[in-house]
Amino acid sequence: MRATAAAVAVQPLKPGPAASAAHASSFRASNGLQQFLDLLADVPRARVLDLGSVWQSTISFFVDKGYRISTEDVLRGWKEFITSEEERQRAIPSGADSGKLSPQLLMANFLQDALGYPEHNFHGILAWDLLDYFDADLVPPLMERLFQALHPGGALLALFHSRPAEHFRRYRIMDSQTVEVVAAPTIAVHAHVFQNREILDLFGKFRSSKTFVGRDQVREALFLR
Amino acid sequence: MWNKSAQNRPSSKADARLAAPLPSHSAMQSPAEPASSHAPAVPSSAAEPARPALGVAESAIDSHLKIAGEISGNSDLYIDGEVRGKVRMAGARVTVGAKGRIHADMEARELVIHGHVEGSLHAAESLHLGASSRVQGKVLAPRIRIDDGAFLRGTVEMIAAGVASKPVAAAPKMPAVIPDVVPVATEHEEIIP
Repeated sequence: MRATAAAVAVQPLKPGPAASAAHASSFRASNGLQQFLDLLADVPRARVLDLGSVWQSTISFFVDKGYRISTEDVLRGWKEFITSEEERQRAIPSGADSGKLSPQLLMANFLQDALGYPEHNFHGILAWDLLDYFDADLVPPLMERLFQALHPGGALLALFHSRPAEHFRRYRIMDSQTVEVVAAPTIAVHAHVFQNREILDLFGKFRSSKTFVGRDQVREALFLR
Repeated sequence: MWNKSAQNRPSSKADARLAAPLPSHSAMQSPAEPASSHAPAVPSSAAEPARPALGVAESAIDSHLKIAGEISGNSDLYIDGEVRGKVRMAGARVTVGAKGRIHADMEARELVIHGHVEGSLHAAESLHLGASSRVQGKVLAPRIRIDDGAFLRGTVEMIAAGVASKPVAAAPKMPAVIPDVVPVATEHEEIIP
């Protein structure tokens, strides 16, 4: 179904490459994270939004700094939204108007509930590689919502793969410069490799950016609103 | 901060506070609770804990019950049913089982969540989100333990032990211009036009 596969190809949780690599986590020295944290250093009780899954170590890291950390696993939320939409469509009798929604409309509906934060609420947003898992045409409304939620002067850290990611990964902070890349059951497949120009266009409303390229060819991009 | 010397600083050593376990949670754990590990998130169905045996002074709302209104008291409470309203058990431990569905703000001495909760969670001593937990709302506690696989959509705030919830202060403002952010061209840097 184009409406769903275009955005996030939901994978069954069965043994496969991702599952076999389930324990193959690695550590990544992250200049992007370090500079992200530097930008927040002077903000007392900074508000940070983590768009990945919730981890004890990440929560403890920010709480120990006196920050207020919010989490919203957008990919998991999107997957559940898509699943419920598929169930809704299956429940429609054959022959009736299926009410099938375009990917863009699906995203609009998803955002009616997701990422509903007050304007300028966060001083930092950790997007990790979230954007890679959406088709390029679905990302702008997501970006717009994140831009609104970010305080002027705030920072957003995102990762972009230079080639389709073979395995689904999650990220958790171990210290101010180290991120553990955790292999996880696949809930979405890599959808799009963003070129540098696309990234700059996507973040066109931001004030400036800085990109670090790791040896694994994953780009860490830090954007300032 | 954008200069190379800052980028190339060696990694600081791991923060021992992060590696160290939280203060003892033995009082929070039921025998059937899954252990937290570095394993990736697992499907919630695989991590659902069995219902623990009731304690001497523990009340229970089983999975066949639906309750709307306010629940208050001082005995420990196990909820595997559906609750809408408010849960105020200031001196007690409240456990939401894997089948529990809570649409309520919850306040207790200890909170252990394995099911679904929509509402704020305020624990005077400790909060444990199990691997199968799904929480949407604000979380306040002096100690928080989160198992891998937990789902939390909301804000985490640490409070001093025994402190009642208090109004949230307004967000501090960022400076209009971050003084040490001077975009300097490097081979990996691009300035948005």
